[in-house]
Amino acid sequence: MKKTFAAFALAAGAALFQPAGGAVAQDSFSVTLIPGLTTDAFYITMRKGAEAAAEKMGVDFSFQGAPNFNPTEQIPVLEAVIAQGPDAILIAPTDKTQLIEPLRQAVNAGILVLTVDTFIDDGSYQDGSGAGDFPLSLISSDNVLGGRMAGRALCDAIGGSGKVFVSNVNPGISTTDQREEGFKLEMAASCPGAEVLDTQFNENDSAIAATQLQAVLAREPDLAGVFGANLFSAIGTADGVRAAGKSGEIPVATFDAPQRIVEDLKSGLVNIAIAQHPAEIGWFGVAAAVAALSGQSVPTAIGTGFTIMTPENIDDPAVAAFVYSD
Amino acid sequence: MSTEESASRGDSIPRGAAVLEFISNAWPWLFFLFLLTVFEMWGRVGFGQSFVTNPFVLKSIAVAASFALLLAAGQTLVIISGGIDLSLAFTMGLAAVVTAFGMNMASPHVGPILSFFFGASLALMVSFIPGFINGFLVAHLHVPAFIATLGFFGINRSAAFIFAGGVDEPIADRTVVSVIGYYEVFGVVPLLVVVTAVAVLGVHYVLSQTRYGQYTYAIGGSMEAASRAGVNVRRHIWSLYVFASLLAGLAGVLHATRFGSGRADSGEPLLLSAVAAVVVGGASLFGGRGTIIGALIGTLIIATIPSGLSFLRVNPFFQFGVEGVIIIVSVLIYMSRDRFNWGGGRGQT
Repeated sequence: MKKTFAAFALAAGAALFQPAGGAVAQDSFSVTLIPGLTTDAFYITMRKGAEAAAEKMGVDFSFQGAPNFNPTEQIPVLEAVIAQGPDAILIAPTDKTQLIEPLRQAVNAGILVLTVDTFIDDGSYQDGSGAGDFPLSLISSDNVLGGRMAGRALCDAIGGSGKVFVSNVNPGISTTDQREEGFKLEMAASCPGAEVLDTQFNENDSAIAATQLQAVLAREPDLAGVFGANLFSAIGTADGVRAAGKSGEIPVATFDAPQRIVEDLKSGLVNIAIAQHPAEIGWFGVAAAVAALSGQSVPTAIGTGFTIMTPENIDDPAVAAFVYSD
Repeated sequence: MSTEESASRGDSIPRGAAVLEFISNAWPWLFFLFLLTVFEMWGRVGFGQSFVTNPFVLKSIAVAASFALLLAAGQTLVIISGGIDLSLAFTMGLAAVVTAFGMNMASPHVGPILSFFFGASLALMVSFIPGFINGFLVAHLHVPAFIATLGFFGINRSAAFIFAGGVDEPIADRTVVSVIGYYEVFGVVPLLVVVTAVAVLGVHYVLSQTRYGQYTYAIGGSMEAASRAGVNVRRHIWSLYVFASLLAGLAGVLHATRFGSGRADSGEPLLLSAVAAVVVGGASLFGGRGTIIGALIGTLIIATIPSGLSFLRVNPFFQFGVEGVIIIVSVLIYMSRDRFNWGGGRGQT
């Protein structure tokens, strides 16, 4: 089946005129992935997924980026890639506004643009509204779904009843807002015995998250569980739980799965981790680019999945495979 | 100056000293040429593409180098005087955010064009403040420059993030900035590169042709000697920090204008690049030596490396190493010049 698809992609590639190839004839599509930063496990895992897809589909693949999540560094790299002229660019934009004009230059140069993980403008593309409406597709985790999964897992862990709260970063960040939204939706829908307290915002500082946990606990001694919307929130919350001597009694759910999550789960610091699938984002990013370059339509949004990790299942190779690789 | 004298008078190794003198003066230029040649040949052989004749690449490097050069020019002034300004990175970020903030505040009342001038002026006024206080701390209270400006690194950063209410303050009405930010003089040179060139030429003139410039070198050479010669050392050092801060503020205004939002961390990656550029360009971190032309060529080298490597599809992990090697080699060349020229003199203060 995979072979057929690869053969089909190759045939389609060979049969079609290359949009950005100019006068030079090419035997395969070229796709460049520009991550938010090059030195982060999440994006390194994404690169591996993209490389695997590129190999299967005979795509000429390149990975270019800057060491920090910052448009001042990302834009010159993007521009050098535009000058180089691949057929398609997959990019995790480091700013919703600042990358709009530079990416428009890519489109003007005849390069297809798809965004992965993060987005420009409002993130809904090809709907005829907004200055950053032109990318073909956004391939990213469905964060509402991820929040729902965290909600369901935490509901099970607290036995379906008790008080819980969300430890979140800052209001106004699309991904973490969506996780909180999903979490609350799921709690309301399938955990009627639970009560969701006010969200605590920790400004991405685990020390603040720890203090907040203890403040909430002082007010609500029967606190049953916490959802940390990102790793810092969860680690801080878990430290607070430990300091209060409640380790194991108050389960903590977290998002993301860097290498340390294995230890954190086994030591009981956190109890549930929702791993995103960055490799899947990379794979489907390349696949969507190949489809579009072959003249196929692609969905304007592709949502990728999650894996729930617990101390019980983390040794299972099928689960451990989703820990982000360094 | 004394360099040539001692090179011609040098008795033990006059030839070697002359050659070294030439290499150390021309080295950044030679290296830049070498870099472009390598990138060009690699591009042609490896991908059948030209690097140096690609207008898109040249514009991209020129724009990226403009922000860095404004920081590097201010940093050069401070470094010549024997100091350093670490806060410039977030002075730029703060100015970028204030530009956007001011525009958004004024836009509903005075329209987009006037609001741009309001935002830009407000940003420059705000960027005056850290320079003013840093200069006071260093010149009058003798706080080490590294410490005082490290303090403002944090204060500016907080201020920028607070004003932005996060990392980013988007400009609501981008009609004017998208025109100015992407306008190209004669359809070739980006306007913001021209603005940068004018500002930096001004600094170059002041530093190389005026008494103000001579005093700056004199203070870097020996503060005591300068003071005895009648230079108002305190006021002079104070003014250098203000100068540097305003240039960083200008960089922030241009960044927000180009990219349509004020980004609090827009200058963060440029801080160390600018210091590296100044050093590669021949300045001494001990003071007394450095030029704006040196900062320019250093900035061009540092800005060309990531673009070139991305263009040539080199694994991005190599980038840090390449930059590191260039910085060390530069410093070794300058140090060897000092050693061969004379026993104890300029540059060893």
